This record gives sequence, structure tokens and C-alpha cells, in this order.
Amino acid sequence: MKRLAKFLGKTLIIAAGLSALNATADVLQDIKKRDLIRIAVPQDFPPFGSIGTDLKPQGIDVDMANYIAKEMGVDIEIVPVTSANRIPYLQTKKVDLVISSLGKNPEREKAIDFSTPYAPFFLGVFGSKDESVSSIEELAGKTVGVTRGSVEDLELEKYAPKSVNVRRFEDNNTTLTAYLSGQVNLIATGNLVATEIATRQPKRAPESKFMLKDSPCYIGMAEGETALQAEVNRLIQKALANGDLNKISMKWLKAPLPKGFGV
Amino acid sequence: MIEFSNYDILRNLLFATQWTILLSLAAFIGGSSVALTLTALRLTRNKVVHSLIRGYVELFQGTPLLMQMFLCFFGLSMLGYEISAWGAAILSLTFFTSAFLVEIWRGCIDTLPKGQWEASRCLGMSFLQILRYIILPQAIRVAVAPTVGFSVQVIKGTALASVIGFVELTKVGTMLNNATFEPFKVFTLVAIIYFLLCYPLSLYSKVLEKKFNGSR
Amino acid sequence: MLHFADLLQYSDVFFSGLLTTVELTVLTTILGIAVGTSCASIRQYGNKTSQRVVSIYVELIRNTPFIVQLFFIFFGLPALGVRLSPWEASMIALTINLGAYSTEIIRAGLASISKGQIEAAKVLGLTFRQTLTRVIFIPAFEKIYPALVSQCIIVMLGSAVISQISVEDLTYAANLVQSRNFRAFESYLVTAALYLGLSILLRFAFNSIGKRLFVYREAP
Repeated sequence: MKRLAKFLGKTLIIAAGLSALNATADVLQDIKKRDLIRIAVPQDFPPFGSIGTDLKPQGIDVDMANYIAKEMGVDIEIVPVTSANRIPYLQTKKVDLVISSLGKNPEREKAIDFSTPYAPFFLGVFGSKDESVSSIEELAGKTVGVTRGSVEDLELEKYAPKSVNVRRFEDNNTTLTAYLSGQVNLIATGNLVATEIATRQPKRAPESKFMLKDSPCYIGMAEGETALQAEVNRLIQKALANGDLNKISMKWLKAPLPKGFGV
Repeated sequence: MIEFSNYDILRNLLFATQWTILLSLAAFIGGSSVALTLTALRLTRNKVVHSLIRGYVELFQGTPLLMQMFLCFFGLSMLGYEISAWGAAILSLTFFTSAFLVEIWRGCIDTLPKGQWEASRCLGMSFLQILRYIILPQAIRVAVAPTVGFSVQVIKGTALASVIGFVELTKVGTMLNNATFEPFKVFTLVAIIYFLLCYPLSLYSKVLEKKFNGSR
Repeated sequence: MLHFADLLQYSDVFFSGLLTTVELTVLTTILGIAVGTSCASIRQYGNKTSQRVVSIYVELIRNTPFIVQLFFIFFGLPALGVRLSPWEASMIALTINLGAYSTEIIRAGLASISKGQIEAAKVLGLTFRQTLTRVIFIPAFEKIYPALVSQCIIVMLGSAVISQISVEDLTYAANLVQSRNFRAFESYLVTAALYLGLSILLRFAFNSIGKRLFVYREAP
């Protein structure tokens, strides 16, 4: 038993060494060296990323990913992820960047680094017409569907009354399906997602009940990658200045960026 | 707005079915190779080897396949090995498949009377000769039916790869469901495709079982 | 680098997840074996039509993945007006699943009881109930008990999937903790160990129940 413990201890030390070794590599250099950037995007979160009839993702996040790759002059590999696993993808170096309508919060800031914002986003609680809720307190005793690990999930956990029955689903697909199939009558999600559902499924069009948080989208990257962070920020500022970012907003949100966004 | 016709849904599901089949084949080949090696090692009758194999089987039969996939996918990268969803799915399905096959095959070899080993040894046959001419031909006949039967479990196991993001039949099902909001239609189709893949194998396994049991 | 200490503050999350998994396992084991026993009896002794219905049920379930069955019940059935809570949907899906597998297993046990035995019991003057329990079911179950135990454990492990429809089981706990502190590997490792412990415990429990159930042979 003692020997086993010793052996396990050794393995852990070696493993720790290996991962520490990994962490010191400069991702920006790696990207340039392999001439390829791997970017995580959502595929179940319209209008940020959803699939077309060819099953390829499309949306704001996908356009943003393509823009970054083009500006860096490298090839791109689009990696579809879910809300729950996008940060592990980054931590385990399966991708270089996460452009997946990622909101910022203190828990996440401990685990990864963020760029400046690239798209506006408001979180709220939405639901069917017959649910009368107008504030977070009035959620008491009701059931709300939410995607596990999302900012709205953490907000609900922090501010909602204890008696709220929060049903957490693995990905946005499942959360939306739960709402549309009537398994939950209220969901916490982004304003744009709710609008998208309304256009797709007018019968179950979710009404806006109240706002949870102003939570613009950031690009996520592994901790300590300052060179990469600087480069991504530079590209966002450039797109903001030359109107490219606004074009993306017009294309997918049918509205220009709010005044003063990202300044 | 993107509109999915029934044709689009079916076309995409069938396309994804290829990946389910490919993943099943890879897992089955990987799993049976590992199981074959372990079964061979078991024949050496070394106590340590036996208990190691026992532990291997306990470990992979005693934890959920879903957990094994999570661990292979996120765990290995944490330890410094790059692994794709495809690689993690194959790896964990190989563990899973081999842990069950090694048990199934052990059962098949154990059903043969011990006397056969002793009798062959008395006839002056070597260990390998006994294996080649006496044990394996009989064991394989017994093993075919449950092995084919287990392949159904492998195909169904590949559905869990959807959870770590590998795009196969179940994953495309959930993706299409989100794009069309027609869960009843989509999941019925998904279930039918799995059934069409698995049922012939189940049936074949039953036929084989009858055949070999009849002749004994 | 591994940080198991980061998991300590979530021990109650893991514990309540473990409880849910255990609760669902116990419930579905009892219900599933009941379904299996009834269906196996129909397969073995029922008329042609009912035999056919049972075999369609068994084949449908055995040849489709559990996760698809679960999604179908939870997301598909509301289209037909049947709305179940995640917990109810999981319990039904697990019961239906174990029911189908145990039907096959138990039927094999019933098939091993020869007609002669039943006739002998009649001749010896055993009542119908005595024949049913002592001559048919207990010996049949004894034969297939190990296979049945393995199947129950397989279903318990398969229940990890119900976390996908928001049931707060052990896997859900792992995913929740992982989404809060981003310690995916540690969280999954601990959970895998808990499942392993659970399956060992379950086997142990079944074996001690088995010893009680099948003692009649040792009677003088």
C-alpha cells in the first residue's frame, strides 16, 4: 500500500511537471509555427453560432473567428463546443481561443484570460406569456431552465431566492429544447437567443421578463498568454475602428453596435 | 432563416451514421485486440497477471463509460497528452470493449472441461499445440455468438461520444433538434437508424447461438 | 497539476448527487426486475400475441442507445402531450431499460425449469403458490442471479447519462463542480472513484441478498 502511494505520488509529480512545461509555451508562437489557429465556437447558440443545413457553424462568433485568423494570416480550425466544456477546452489546450459568446465573471477570470469585448449581450429571464414574473424575487417557487456553467447560471445561483428550482442543462441545445418542448416555462439566457427563438418558433415566442446582467462577449484565452492577448486586443480595436465589427453586428443582429461600445 | 426539409434531416443523419459505424468499428477492433492480448496473458496462469487483469476489468466495468470518456478527453490533456474527441472516444471505447470481451472470452475458455488440457498434455502436446488444436477451435465456436451480441453494446456505447462533442449520430440528432425544434421526429429517426444498425447483429448473434448450442 | 482540495467545499454537492444516484438505482432495480419478471413470464407462458408484444418491446430497447431513449422520453413525448419531470423521465427510462434486459435474462432462467419439475411438484401435492415460488421462480432466479446482478450494475452506471436532462445525480455533481471551479480532471476522477465504490457496494449488497434468498438448499 505504501509503495503504491509512493508510486502514485511520483506519477503526480511527473504529471504536474509535464503540465507546467506545457504552460510555459507561447501560444502565439505556436500558432504562427503551425500556421493554424484553433478556435472554439458555439454551434447551438444563434445568432452567435448555429448550424446550417450542411451542419457547419455560422454566426457572429464564426465570423469573428474567421476575421482573427485572416488578420493573423494563418489557417483556421473551427472547433464546435458547448457552454459547459468551452473553458476545459481552453485549459487543456485543445483550442487557442474561445470565441463563444463568453461573458466575464470573477470565477472565470481566475481560470482564463479575456480580451476586450467584441459584441454586446444582455442576460435576462424569458418565458411564456402565462408566466407573470417581473423581478428576480418573483421567481420564488418557480422552475427556470439554464445552461450549466453559463454566466446566467452563476447569476441565478447568486441572486435568485433559494426556493427557485433551477434546472441546469449540459448545453444551450438542451436548454432551448427544454423550453420549446414545454419542460420548463422560464429560461435564463441572452436577449439575442430569445429573439432568435421567437423568429423560429413564434408559437412559443419567449417574452422578456426582466434583465439579469449586461454581459458583453469577450474572447477567452489561456492564462498568462500576454502576447496572444495583446494581438487579439489589437485586432478587435482595429475592427472596431474600421467598421468591420459593426458590419458583423449589422449582418447578424440587424443593428449597429451601441454607441461607445468597446471604448 | 434556415429551413430544414425532411430530406435535409435524413441526409445529415445518414451522413453522421457513417461516423457512428466508423467509431464502432475502430472501438471493436481496438477492444478485441486488447482483449485478445489480455486473454492470452491470462492463459499463463500467473497470479499477479491474473489479479492485474481482474483489476482492469473491475475498473472499466465498474465506472460509467461516460465518466471514462470525460477522463480520457479532459484528463489526458491535463497530464500533457493532446487528444481529440475522436481519439478520446476510441480510447475509452477500447477500454470499455476490452474489459467486457476479456470477461466473455474467459467464460468461453472456462466452459471447456479441464480434462481436455490434461488429456492433451498426456498425449505429449505442447502448451501452444493444445491451444492451437484443442482449446481455441472449440472456444472460438462458443465465443462467436456472445461477441457478436456484445458488438451491439459497442455501437450503442458510441452514442455517448456525443457528450464530449464527437459528431456522430446522436450528436447530429441533438444539433438538428435544436435547428428544427422537432424533437419527436428527430429522435424517432435517430432511434430507427440505431435499431437498423443493431438489430441485424442481435438477430445474427441469436442464430449463431442456436446453431452452436444445437450441434453440441 | 492536481488540486483535490478545491473539491472539498463541494462535498455536499457530491453527496447529494450520490444520494440521487443511489435512490434512482434502488427504485429502478426493484421496478425493472418486476417488469422483467412479468415480461419474462409472458414470453415463457403467455399466448402468441402477448409474446410478440413483449419481444418487440425487448428488441426495441436492446437495440437503441439509452441516451436516445432518454431524449425521446423527455423531449419527444411532450409533442404527444406527455410531460414528465427530469426525475420521472429518468426513472421511467431506466426502468424500461432494465426491464427489457432482465426479461431476456429471467426468461433464460424460466426456460431452464423443465416441465417435468412442475409436473413432479403437482404430483407431490404442492399448491400453485408453492410451485410458483419454490419450483419455478426461486430456482430460476438462482440460475441467472449473477447475470441479473451484472445487468443492474450496468444500468446503475448507465444512469450517468441522466445528468444530460438536468437530473442532479452524481455525474451532474461532477459537471456542476467542474463548471464552477474548472477542475475538470479532479472532479471526474473523484466521481469515477465514487461510481467504482458504488458498483462494488452494490455487488456486495446483491450477494448478501442472494445468500438469504437462496438458502433453501442448505436446509436439512
